[in-house]
Amino acid sequence: MRLAAQSWLIVILALIAAVAAFGLAINRNLPDPHLGPAMAKRAPNPSRGAYIATLGDCAACHTTPGGAALAGGVPLATPLGSVYSTNITPDREHGIGAYSFTDFARVMRQGVRPDGARLYPAMPYTAYAKVSDEDLQDLFAYLTQKVAAAPAPDRVPGIPWLLRVRWPLALWNKAFLQDARFAPEPAKGAAWNRGAYLVQGLAHCGTCHTPRGLGFQEISVDGGSAFYLSGARLAGESPVNLRGNAGDGLGRWSADEIAELLATGRSPHAAVLGQMGEVVAQSTQFMTPDDRSAIAAYLKSLPPAPEEGRATYAPSGATLAAFMAGRESTVPGARMFMDSCAACHRLSGEGEGRSFPHLGGSPTVLAQHPDSLIRVILKGARLPATEAAPSRLAMPPFGWRYDDQQVAALASFVRQSWGNNAAAVSAEDVERVRKGLR
Amino acid sequence: MSDTNRRAFLKGSVILPPLAALGVSSASSQQTPAVDELAASAPAAATPAADDYKPTYFTAPEWAFVQAACARLIPNDANGPGALELGVPQFIDRQMGTPYGDAANWFMQGPFFEGAPEFGYQSQLTPKQQYRLGIKAIDAWCAKNLGRTFAALKPEQQDDVLKKVEAGTIKSDEAPLKTFFSGFLLKNVMEGFFGDPMYGGNKNMAAWKLIGHPGARADFMEWVDRPALYPYGPVDLHGRQA
Repeated sequence: MRLAAQSWLIVILALIAAVAAFGLAINRNLPDPHLGPAMAKRAPNPSRGAYIATLGDCAACHTTPGGAALAGGVPLATPLGSVYSTNITPDREHGIGAYSFTDFARVMRQGVRPDGARLYPAMPYTAYAKVSDEDLQDLFAYLTQKVAAAPAPDRVPGIPWLLRVRWPLALWNKAFLQDARFAPEPAKGAAWNRGAYLVQGLAHCGTCHTPRGLGFQEISVDGGSAFYLSGARLAGESPVNLRGNAGDGLGRWSADEIAELLATGRSPHAAVLGQMGEVVAQSTQFMTPDDRSAIAAYLKSLPPAPEEGRATYAPSGATLAAFMAGRESTVPGARMFMDSCAACHRLSGEGEGRSFPHLGGSPTVLAQHPDSLIRVILKGARLPATEAAPSRLAMPPFGWRYDDQQVAALASFVRQSWGNNAAAVSAEDVERVRKGLR
Repeated sequence: MSDTNRRAFLKGSVILPPLAALGVSSASSQQTPAVDELAASAPAAATPAADDYKPTYFTAPEWAFVQAACARLIPNDANGPGALELGVPQFIDRQMGTPYGDAANWFMQGPFFEGAPEFGYQSQLTPKQQYRLGIKAIDAWCAKNLGRTFAALKPEQQDDVLKKVEAGTIKSDEAPLKTFFSGFLLKNVMEGFFGDPMYGGNKNMAAWKLIGHPGARADFMEWVDRPALYPYGPVDLHGRQA
């Protein structure tokens, strides 16, 4: 046994040495961020850069709640363990104070630091690669001129030591990084192009909303796939399908309703949940109305994702009728819904305007992965406060009240009532989500 | 009780015993939960009526009185089980272990005057003291006039004694019996009988079923304009159904 273990160790070390040599060879050459020749003469605009930082929601990952602005340290879950966002203040030792604009562009587009080290793709440089030279330059001017330097050192990733070597990310980039700027499609009009540029680039919607492949890469970053933005499962949540599906997507939403959700966190169809609440609070509510409308116009242009395996929605009064006839007892979960949910969401599932979300046809309820639905039942939720809608309406948690089996029955009832037709939720699903909450 | 008071009561019912041992007022230890602590909206753990309950406040003679009084105030009859069967004695015993038992969040400084009812409770006696003195005085009256303690009397005699206490015709120099009966004993029996089962009374929501109360369901908007009887059984604060 011992001999076997030793020989394995030797083989592994030899492999590491071989690929490390290869990795070093790759690392030697810093990639060219392909900045246009006009950039050298252009005067950067840090005020405009502040808006770029808002569009990109840099603070979401780079500012710890209660910590110094953009000083990093926010944990981001990856399949291998947590990595921590870095200090992007102008501090020369710990931040980006010593970066040139070219260094900055290389980080944003190729995920390579000035010392040749690779960023974990938890930093959405695959999306930021779409961003224009001008926007990057203004963002860099903002970060280096308008943000206060904070001497906060970066935190060591919570990834096992052996797996912490970063050179394989060069191979990851070769396989998955499209180092190409957004290419406008003039025929689609200015609003669509602005929306596509924001969604694919700075707003990096796909980071959460696009399903990922075996390499944990987004399966599409430019809208070329019918699964682009079709909903995913990430960090205990299930970001919804933003495509035109009438069931779990935005097919029944108007562009104005999408824009309203981005401005206020709520719409007649649904309210934001989980991390999207932070996105609305920190980023989308501060976008210009034109930019929100452009995003909505682009999302509305995305055709439905393939319907196979997706939920459908055909509004039905049968659930309410059964409740009123006293027939709930034949359906598991119905009594729990009546006991715990109906006071706000109503027996009709219609909720109340923009205060209590409509559960029939809700993308979160109908999502392929029920994680967010389970999570909100277990943990409750609170709407973000926005300038247009400041009330932080809350849903209380029910994880203390119902066990995994009961939550599964309740979630299944919600997914299969009022015309909702989504797959049932299992107690194992609930157990998994509940564990992730601790 | 207002919502805030109810929460304080729930919270206090969990934290009071150790604090009482230290002689610390629970009122000062209450902390307002941060706005985003949604989990704080959950009630305290449910501790419904136990079959093998042992009183922690009442002495053996007092416990016998409380059980006998419960059995007469809401008797087990054709309508259904009574206060004794639904765990009300243990509700009251546990109630004495909350801040309420010590009047911990009442104004209890002097001067103490006899006042008109609209001025509210004027005695310096805490609920615990009301029970201790009140039971002793009633038992003493029963022993002197009827030859037995209250618990050992026949049901009809017990009813008669309780009626006289309520009417103020049985008096004592040791205890304000009329106040004890109306302000504490009868009131606490009703609280235990109709309160949520999580506090030890209203076992299996039987009291709610008795009167057709649907329990902690919060809202019945869909039903208000319907002539038919509401068709669903009750639910308690911890989501149990009956």
